[in-house]
Amino acid sequence: MRKKLEGNGLWESSRMMLPEHKVAINEHEKTLRQRQRVELDEQELENIVRSVTESLQQRQQITLRLFHPIEELTVIGIVDRIDQLRGRLMVDGEWFPIQDIEGTISNE
Amino acid sequence: MRITYIIRTGVLFSKEGITVFKKLIVCVWFIGAQRRSSRNEGFDYSPLESTYLKMLCMEHDTQRVFWIKNILTKELVKRLHGKKVIMLADCQSFYASVEKAERPEYRDLPVVVAGDPERRSGIILAACPIAKSYGITTAERLGESISKCPNLVIIRPRMQLYIDISLMITRIYQSFTDLVECYSIDEQFLDVTGSLHLYGSPEELARIIQNRIQAETGIYTRFGIAENKILAKTACDNYAKKNESGIYVLSKEKLHETLWTLPVTKMFMVGSRMTRHFNAMGMETIGTVAETPLEKLKLMMRRKFGKNSDINAELYWRIANGIDDSPVTPGTHQVAPKTVGHMMTLPRDYGKLEEIKVVLLELTELVCQRCRGKGYMGHVVSVGCMGADYDRPTGFSRQMKMDDPTNVTNQVYRAAVELLVRHWDGHPVRKVGISLSQFSDDNEYQLSLFDPHREKTMALERATDALKEKYGDSVILRAVSVSPAGQALHRSEKIGGHYK
Repeated sequence: MRKKLEGNGLWESSRMMLPEHKVAINEHEKTLRQRQRVELDEQELENIVRSVTESLQQRQQITLRLFHPIEELTVIGIVDRIDQLRGRLMVDGEWFPIQDIEGTISNE
Repeated sequence: MRITYIIRTGVLFSKEGITVFKKLIVCVWFIGAQRRSSRNEGFDYSPLESTYLKMLCMEHDTQRVFWIKNILTKELVKRLHGKKVIMLADCQSFYASVEKAERPEYRDLPVVVAGDPERRSGIILAACPIAKSYGITTAERLGESISKCPNLVIIRPRMQLYIDISLMITRIYQSFTDLVECYSIDEQFLDVTGSLHLYGSPEELARIIQNRIQAETGIYTRFGIAENKILAKTACDNYAKKNESGIYVLSKEKLHETLWTLPVTKMFMVGSRMTRHFNAMGMETIGTVAETPLEKLKLMMRRKFGKNSDINAELYWRIANGIDDSPVTPGTHQVAPKTVGHMMTLPRDYGKLEEIKVVLLELTELVCQRCRGKGYMGHVVSVGCMGADYDRPTGFSRQMKMDDPTNVTNQVYRAAVELLVRHWDGHPVRKVGISLSQFSDDNEYQLSLFDPHREKTMALERATDALKEKYGDSVILRAVSVSPAGQALHRSEKIGGHYK
């Protein structure tokens, strides 16, 4: 009962929503949260290439920001291998597509 | 007076006749808008704002006109003392308006959207303004409406379409502000505080949105504007729906002249019964409720409704005083529900236990299906029945805790039948409902010594759920649903008790 006086309680307790309508709203809000791929400029690309090769050669830990349609995805680890043919790189034993990389966060 | 003054100065300082004339039209429109809103907000221009206004009229460069206009609007927004600007947008007779927009041939005819009388849902869901002018009201019986207006156009509801259009309108609102909260299918809250500097006064923005929705969907919207949600809702219900522009700004400072003079029945959350109670307590207007000290109101309500009425007393007191700090919450529908339930009015009265059990099983299946979809298991099941006789109300609503949380249809059904058998008095039943609550995650469940088939039933239900998800609820049914008492087929064609 107390909830009516707190937060959004008054409106949450009094509204009339069809379950189907709620589902539709939530679906719509999900699409709103979807992210678009970032286009990288040359400097950023260079920056990424440099940190990835540094990590590969000197076994340094890097933090990569990867594209994900909904979530904020970062990968932290050491680059083990780069497979240019199939466009992927291995970080701590797991493969990630190279074209998903959106940027690096330097650890120094 | 001020407008003419500015025009005069504008002309005095201008040299190129025609461009200045054009600009003056813009200025006068803009100043007029500001003045209209300022009259509502109850303030006059400050010296700084007057300077900007003068600059605006003297300026030749269009780029700079917009620049000054922006600064001026920001100044005006600042004047709202950090108050929010909340709108409640309401669609006029929503279902009927959607149908009229879809079928232009009915534009000048009285149109109602009504349920199916043969299935006992034959009431008016929405009536267009022309139909209302014949005295037709929402929720009256179809027969009564036809007797009031013989050439009435009656349209079968199409609920899915209404949901789609409602979402389309939400998208339009979202192009003005990201803070949009659906309150019902035709009412949505907008927090436009951060958007005003782009559009001008709250009224102007409301007008822009209103025109756009009219143009894109053919639906007329009304806007209640205020500093919080409760006042916006009140402004919409009591003023915006009745005035010509469909837009009303309710300022908190002027409540004693506006809201407080209204009878208490006009208050939000006050129905006919509560009106009677308030009148019995000697409160005729919203103002008297607002002016009663909270402690006194609590005491008065405690005397009338018992100890547990303090919260309600505070609620009514806050509503009357226009106090509401709840934010416009866009993601409000994502919160996990506390109960999942279904209820239906039967097309005829059911008098036999066997018949009621059929519907109960169908409803249980729907409830469990929804729970499985969300990954919940319910621990408490509650069953309700309403007697058929309106004059002698019978029926019950009882709940029980099952041994373990579950979302397996048969397990919930077993508990539901137990409740039904124990509490049903044998009188014909008009309405049946079931709900599950006290949820837990369905990733782990209690193994039972006596139910070795649980994994199997769960796999079966996963399969039927997937089928229903893909092809619709009627694609696979239980055999009892084909019996005369079964409602699942009819129900699968409906949303909220009305046709899709």
